[in-house]
Amino acid sequence: MSQATHGGIIIRNARFHVTLKLNYKHMKLNKLLWASALISVSFACSDSGEEKPLGKYDNGILIMNEGNFGTNDGEVYYLNPNTEELLPNIFEAENLRPFAGLLEDMVLEADRLYLVANTGKVEIVNPADFKSLGAVSAELDQPRSLAVNGSKLFISDYGPYDASYATPDSYVAVVNGLDGGVVSKKIEVSDKPEDLFSYENYIFVASSEANKIEIIDATQETVVTTIELEASPKQFNAEGGILWVYAIATDEVIFYTLNLSSLTLENSYTVPVANATNRISFDGDDKMYILTSSGYPDYNDAVVTIDIEGNTATATELMTGSGFYGIGFDDDLDQIYVANSNGFQGNGTVTVLSETGSVIRSFEVGRGPSGFLVY
Amino acid sequence: MLLLLCAFYFVASSPIQDTVKLAEVEVYAPALDRFAQGQKVISWTKKDLENYQGRSLADILQEQSPVFVRQYGAGMIASPAFRGTSAGHTAVFWNGLPINSPSLGQSDLSILPISAVDQVSLQFGNAGALFGNEAIGGSIHLETNSEFGKGLKAGISQQIGSFGLFNSNLIGGFSSKNFSSSTKVYREFSNNNFPYQDLGQIGTPAVKEDHAQFEQIGLVQDLAWNLNESNQLKAAFWWNKTNREVQPVMGSNTQDEQEDQSIRAVLDYFHFGKKSIWNLKTGVVQDKMLFSESLNQTNQYFVSGDWDRTFSEKWNTKTGVRFTLAKGELSTYTEDDSRVELYQSTKFTSSENLAFSINLRQLIYSGTFAPFTPNLGMDWSFWKKGSQFLQLKTSIGKGFKVPTLNDRFWNPGGNPELKPEESMNGELGLNWSGTGKITWNQSLTYYRMSVDNWIIWLPKGSVWTPENIKKVSNQGIEYQGSLAGGIGTWNWELMTSYTYSKAVTTEGTDENDQSLGKQLPYTPQHQANAKVRLEKSGFSSSLGTYFVGERSVTADNPRMMPSFQLFNFSLGYDQLSRGKLHFPLSFQINNVFNSDYQVLYLRAMPGRSFQFNLSILV
Repeated sequence: MSQATHGGIIIRNARFHVTLKLNYKHMKLNKLLWASALISVSFACSDSGEEKPLGKYDNGILIMNEGNFGTNDGEVYYLNPNTEELLPNIFEAENLRPFAGLLEDMVLEADRLYLVANTGKVEIVNPADFKSLGAVSAELDQPRSLAVNGSKLFISDYGPYDASYATPDSYVAVVNGLDGGVVSKKIEVSDKPEDLFSYENYIFVASSEANKIEIIDATQETVVTTIELEASPKQFNAEGGILWVYAIATDEVIFYTLNLSSLTLENSYTVPVANATNRISFDGDDKMYILTSSGYPDYNDAVVTIDIEGNTATATELMTGSGFYGIGFDDDLDQIYVANSNGFQGNGTVTVLSETGSVIRSFEVGRGPSGFLVY
Repeated sequence: MLLLLCAFYFVASSPIQDTVKLAEVEVYAPALDRFAQGQKVISWTKKDLENYQGRSLADILQEQSPVFVRQYGAGMIASPAFRGTSAGHTAVFWNGLPINSPSLGQSDLSILPISAVDQVSLQFGNAGALFGNEAIGGSIHLETNSEFGKGLKAGISQQIGSFGLFNSNLIGGFSSKNFSSSTKVYREFSNNNFPYQDLGQIGTPAVKEDHAQFEQIGLVQDLAWNLNESNQLKAAFWWNKTNREVQPVMGSNTQDEQEDQSIRAVLDYFHFGKKSIWNLKTGVVQDKMLFSESLNQTNQYFVSGDWDRTFSEKWNTKTGVRFTLAKGELSTYTEDDSRVELYQSTKFTSSENLAFSINLRQLIYSGTFAPFTPNLGMDWSFWKKGSQFLQLKTSIGKGFKVPTLNDRFWNPGGNPELKPEESMNGELGLNWSGTGKITWNQSLTYYRMSVDNWIIWLPKGSVWTPENIKKVSNQGIEYQGSLAGGIGTWNWELMTSYTYSKAVTTEGTDENDQSLGKQLPYTPQHQANAKVRLEKSGFSSSLGTYFVGERSVTADNPRMMPSFQLFNFSLGYDQLSRGKLHFPLSFQINNVFNSDYQVLYLRAMPGRSFQFNLSILV
């Protein structure tokens, strides 16, 4: 385990900005919020701290296995981190049919777990017992993530490929009904929308290719505001009333904060971490864990932790290797979960690390493990 | 000792050409097994292929051979797996030209229609020395034949069947004593709108496949000339074009379309000397593949020459050289590869019952030496009593696969540093046959093989790149039997086969590789087929079945696909005629019991289907 420390943080005042001093308190974990929140590659936030019924799959970690392209063998594993009990393929086990898709995202909202398959559907299950509640199975192309607003579902979708494998017709699909149904509208957005965040009457869209955040009015179902960024936004994270945006560029990652009442950028914090991927997990306190990958020719992957305190950020390499494909954090046990795809040749593995990066254990999971939902 | 490690046998009774003789009506074609002593060969003649008119090579291999065919849906990509090896480990030849795509290193059996060929032979095991690149698991040989002195021939046939099947064939030919021309034109079409249970949708509703339409058209032209008594010229041309909607895997709604177009042409010149045959061969293979809108095109040019010499009754040799230029113009790269290969075969016929062969080949590609591949084989008929005999076939040999153009040059990810894959194979076979009231041929083969430097594409960050990763060890048993006889005016025939194949990964990415010691993906351990056929005064009926055992989706085997068994039935009458016209009629039911099955995970396959065939022949 090598430890490389990257230097301090560069604070750029955002274009629209009103200077807001970074307040350490805002970074503190709001325990109430997190009691029902989830940590996954795509974090989605519950606006309230509502209680969930206790079921077979409550109180544990759901491991998202994307599956292999062309095989559609995405699935969910359930892990009880205390007993280390691991239940494989729980969608198929509970519904007696295969998931049959590439699992891109898992979003826990409104007492439902939304399983977003980038092969063109969203399956909706009861998170307690994983029984199917419904689906959105037509009209979608390459869905990426989902947000709930009132009684509507908003689904980000790359849209179909064109002749040169570009996706010029990306959209956010609207479905009326929390248990799925038909797509009632496709709201045109910029190329390759990723994560969504729902707040009051707004849906925030991370438009990853356009380096923008587009904000949709959930009632009018149109884009009402656009915020320009200097990096590609991948993930939203709401903490303590602040919406954080994780964005990446080649040689650095940028964390933006958004003012939710004025719908403008407040601050940006640039950390010199090269080759960051879109995989991030927030520990709910003052740290985040991201995966980096050097690409050609060395293909070195790493787990990097970024610690933002006051005006400084430190980036520390916790673990290096290759094939890292997902990252998660268990807030109860303070453990980091690193998923390895093992080249998609078969099942992947998960390695559990302590906060300091020492390996606690490793175990086999499903194909292409890509994220974790801790709840 | 090495010789006895390996083995093999023989099912088809192809004539063995020991001496150079040219029958008057014959268009010369060197026999596949001329120097293949000790190797297993199966052949289907034109008559055997009749029941497969309108179907593809994938179907006959799956239903009647030990080869496992990985089918991605109805009419979709189908790739052969001989003896637990992968699709890229099968060399495919058409009239002696290697036709595997140089960019993909394999062929799609679904777009090799039976209607276009007159003979199919399969050779099992390593035959790098005899057949060169990619003959690791085995090789497939497609031939078109023409004859002299047969006059005028013509025919039309039409097939109509379930799911929009509509196939049309036209054949026409003329031959005199010294000239022969034969033409085939075909169009094969299917909507493939078969019903299936969609496991990818909530409630798993029964739906109709709506994106698997298949259309194929083609033209085959064969020409042969006897220039004089000792010189013959032979040419063949094959144009084939397929348009397919790519059937999505369940749970996906992709709308891809694929167009494949191939032009293959070969010209052979034979000079028959007193005790030798010279063969000059030149050919072109052009493949164009348009997947959705991305175009990949390859051209291969071949020139070869060999000299087949009979020294005495005991000694035969063949020596040759082949030059290949492969040009790839793909969506992500443009590269050439030039190859030269030298080959030499020697056969020693010790007695009528015992023959040995030694084959050697060295291929050099873009200046790099591929592994030198020797092969040794023996056929020994060691016991004979009346009309029965027992034959022992054994061989040992090597095979190789040059990294494909995609492996080396795909941008991004191609790895120019790749080494060729290299394999070693040995086999031992026993063949028991007899004639009489009942004619039989029973054979059992044990083989053992290893493939080293097996190339695997692995994701490295967002880029996939190939590496020489795996070592695989295969062994298995192949049983094949045929029985035929008559009861009164009835003729009957029974064909059976069973294959056991154990193919395990012995070296992987590292010592934690979960595939170590486990069966390769999509490689059933057990496979069997049987077919019974009855015939009486022009009526014939057959019932066939094939069984494919459990197989895993991935190399570490956590998810197994269930075994399946399918039945096919056919009925035919071929004595209907009026004047000079003949009207053979037949009717087929495929998947008689409407079994729900998948060959590959979540790839829907059709249930019961019906097919009528009507032909008019002159």
